[in-house]
Amino acid sequence: MSYLNNPAIVMDNGTGLTKLGFAGNDSPSWIFPTAIATAQRSATKSSGSGASGSSAQSTSNPYFGNSTSATSFNNLASAALMSNNLAGKRGTEDLDFYIGNEALSAAQGPSYSLSYPIRHGQVENWDHMERFWENSIFKYLRTEPEDHFFLLTEPPLNPPENREQVAEIFFEGFNCAGLYIAVQAVLALAASWTSSKVVDRSLTGTVIDSGDGVTHVIPVAEGYVVGSAIKNIPIAGRDITLFIQSLLRERGEEDTTLKTAERIKQEYCYVCSDIVKEFNKFDRDAQKFAQFIVENTEKTKRKVIDVGYERFLAPEIFFNPEIASSDFLTPLPTVVDHTIQACPIDVRKGLYNNIVLSGGSTMFRDFGRRLQRDIKGIVNNRIALSESLSGTKSTGVDVQVISHRRQRNAVWFGGSLLAQTAEFKSYCHTKKDYDEIGPEIVRNFSLFNMV
Amino acid sequence: MLHLRPENLLVQKTLTEAWNANENGAPLSLDRVISDFDYTTLHVSNTPENKTVLWLSIKTKVWQSALKCGNGFLEHLESKYSNFPGITPTQQPEQGYDYTLQVDLAQLQPEAMVQLSLLKIHVMSFAFQLAFQEFSVLSQQTQDPSSFSGSNDTGVLRHLQYRDDESIYIKPSNDRVTVIFETFFQDETDKVFGKVFLQEFVDARKRNRSIQSAPQVLFSHEPPLETASVTSNRRTDKDRRFITFVLFPRHFQTPELQFSSVCHLALFRNYFHYHIKCSKAYMHSRMRYRVDSFIKVLNRAKVGETDESEQQTRRTITGRKMVY
Amino acid sequence: MSQSLRPYLTAVRYSLQAALNLTNFSSQVVERHNRPEVEVPNTSAELLLQPMHVSRNEHEQVLIEPSVNSVRVSIKVKQADEIEQILVHKFTRFLEQRAESFYVLRRVPIEGFSISFLITNKHTESMNTEKLVDFIIEFMEEVDKEISEMKLFLNARARFVAEAYLGEFVY
Repeated sequence: MSYLNNPAIVMDNGTGLTKLGFAGNDSPSWIFPTAIATAQRSATKSSGSGASGSSAQSTSNPYFGNSTSATSFNNLASAALMSNNLAGKRGTEDLDFYIGNEALSAAQGPSYSLSYPIRHGQVENWDHMERFWENSIFKYLRTEPEDHFFLLTEPPLNPPENREQVAEIFFEGFNCAGLYIAVQAVLALAASWTSSKVVDRSLTGTVIDSGDGVTHVIPVAEGYVVGSAIKNIPIAGRDITLFIQSLLRERGEEDTTLKTAERIKQEYCYVCSDIVKEFNKFDRDAQKFAQFIVENTEKTKRKVIDVGYERFLAPEIFFNPEIASSDFLTPLPTVVDHTIQACPIDVRKGLYNNIVLSGGSTMFRDFGRRLQRDIKGIVNNRIALSESLSGTKSTGVDVQVISHRRQRNAVWFGGSLLAQTAEFKSYCHTKKDYDEIGPEIVRNFSLFNMV
Repeated sequence: MLHLRPENLLVQKTLTEAWNANENGAPLSLDRVISDFDYTTLHVSNTPENKTVLWLSIKTKVWQSALKCGNGFLEHLESKYSNFPGITPTQQPEQGYDYTLQVDLAQLQPEAMVQLSLLKIHVMSFAFQLAFQEFSVLSQQTQDPSSFSGSNDTGVLRHLQYRDDESIYIKPSNDRVTVIFETFFQDETDKVFGKVFLQEFVDARKRNRSIQSAPQVLFSHEPPLETASVTSNRRTDKDRRFITFVLFPRHFQTPELQFSSVCHLALFRNYFHYHIKCSKAYMHSRMRYRVDSFIKVLNRAKVGETDESEQQTRRTITGRKMVY
Repeated sequence: MSQSLRPYLTAVRYSLQAALNLTNFSSQVVERHNRPEVEVPNTSAELLLQPMHVSRNEHEQVLIEPSVNSVRVSIKVKQADEIEQILVHKFTRFLEQRAESFYVLRRVPIEGFSISFLITNKHTESMNTEKLVDFIIEFMEEVDKEISEMKLFLNARARFVAEAYLGEFVY
């Protein structure tokens, strides 16, 4: 069958951002917010703008940019929507919608309302999600789902009923050729195999997945998530941005928008080894202070923003949460340690040995190194204590935190790696299997054995 | 989204990214696979020597049959891009692909990116182009009684196999160009839905006065006579459907009209499969609503349990949903 | 509502009311089991009652199979043509997929019917029998309505799509 030659499609639908692309590529083809703007029935629809499609689009088309944030700060205000020629036609409301960046700009008008179909990693609104997928496949990826295999991701502890619903949509709605649903944490582990530090390709490790909303610490033993030990931390990308914003406001900077704070976070922040020393370094060396220049869209006015201690203070809230929040006080290294201690004893060494980072909020410089040092400290203290209590010598525990170049879209990249292998299609459930057995077929997927 | 656009958004996006990066002095290293409908794969990569020069390769199911349609296929493709600086076809296509264009980012123009994203349409348009040319020859003959041979159906039947089981046949004659789609449904539901849709394609022109000038559409289970020479010796499969579009001269008078007609015809199958899928999605959402309302009725039957009040989603004063 | 639908539904309603007279009944075959007798192969005839067959025409029928502790209700939904057949199939599949939240829905219909319900004494104890009957009746009404609405939608959408496509050729 000739669809064997078609690249598989990898879709990672996260709470904030969706990553779409083809297996074998090194980065997702599209990254945009998992948002959908649907027509509001009550609103009076203005007549369509009727932009003709074949005319040349300007090169600065805003949807072409890859988003880094779910509440996107691309220059959307000036975006002209590609008309879908549906305004005001009755009986076709279900076709009148936009997704991704287009949804954000459409929602600025009166006739569309924006919603995010995924909450806390799980699909909340299936109607919207189905249409989101429909548009992703036909408009953005331009594929006939009948000809392609799909790899989708799901959060850990996703109920099997949700999987069945996904299968129902993909097999019955889209007639896709084959489907594999992988757990995000497992894919993140697979993505770390590209790092030179990884010697054996095992599917055992601890995944620290920090996106925009929540940070998860997920232990994975031989490809299976240890569900009971998963821990969440309510500190993630958005909290860092808000923290930077509050620091800017306190200092009375000229521009304290969320957009500015986010840019500062992405461009200037790093993790230091010791805050006190870092404060001293800043005070001694004025070079450390940076300046950030904000230009308005027409490039007529510019504002200069000073960037100071927040360069290292902002990511520090992972390690000393008390500087930003009053209700969550456990530092990330301690949480990781607790997580691993909650796992069965025979996998703990493997979990300490392979701590993998994933997601945009782990991208700060030296984040991995600091984490490794702190966890090592905790582990060594415990070993020393048990040695002094029992009087025996421990063989020691090796702590290793792995950062790699594909960290930002680690989940997607792991999916791309797996889906490009020749075996991938034999792990999928095909449309034929589905028709024969029914939706419950997706409750089980065999694991990849890539060794 | 109602209509599928002929141009490939992702090709445009990738080229735009590469172009922008090149403008900023930091050319990207690219090695991307991009797909398009009907077993089409595009590949964007850097040339081995130079990062500012890209290769855009295409591999498509329709290639082989398009090649057989007539002479001058490669020239046809070349002519589409010869007006744009920086785009040259390579002598030898990239390994595993049918055709490769070399794109020099330094000279690339925005309009050229749109044209590059139309590569697949251009491949398909070749057979149509030949048919349009032949049509003009044939119609000249008819108007000129001295050379009129009496037979008015001398056009060559051209065959584009664009999917495993599905083909397009194009046959010009002296007053029309007939385009026949041979389709096949794998899924039972699609078969039934497809029938409803195709029937409406046939009836639409009769019913709606404003689209009287659209091509006439015919639909049959039997291979039309035009394709008899090709299909007669094949096994007759009762699941096959034949949809005939009869294009009149007004649909291809000017090159622009030709192009737009070809775009729409090339996307016909995708368009209507897309809409079958959309209808299924809509039905799913209807059924979800029904399930909810049935469950409500059933819950009313429960003894001693008060209706759980549904969790209200918070809304702003303008009626938008609060997201966080 | 058409003339003959009302008496049909009334007949189903009264038959159901008569049948839904259930009691807790332990299995006579397996110790400490309590199973719906209508579902298991039964050797003791006294546990099963006479099945009732209410039929409006050959396409619309209801089969009620009562037993001492459970009632199985099977409905054949009207399927006039190929499209309705597919739609009914899709719709019932969709419902059965969500049988968990329907309590009384059987995941597989019995042979020859579109959808089946299994009501046991557990259900009649925790739910108002009268309301349960209401649910079945409402379900029968709604299913017909839904199927015909979906069919109308399909035709309307097909027409719209076809016209929109051909409209692109009008220059």
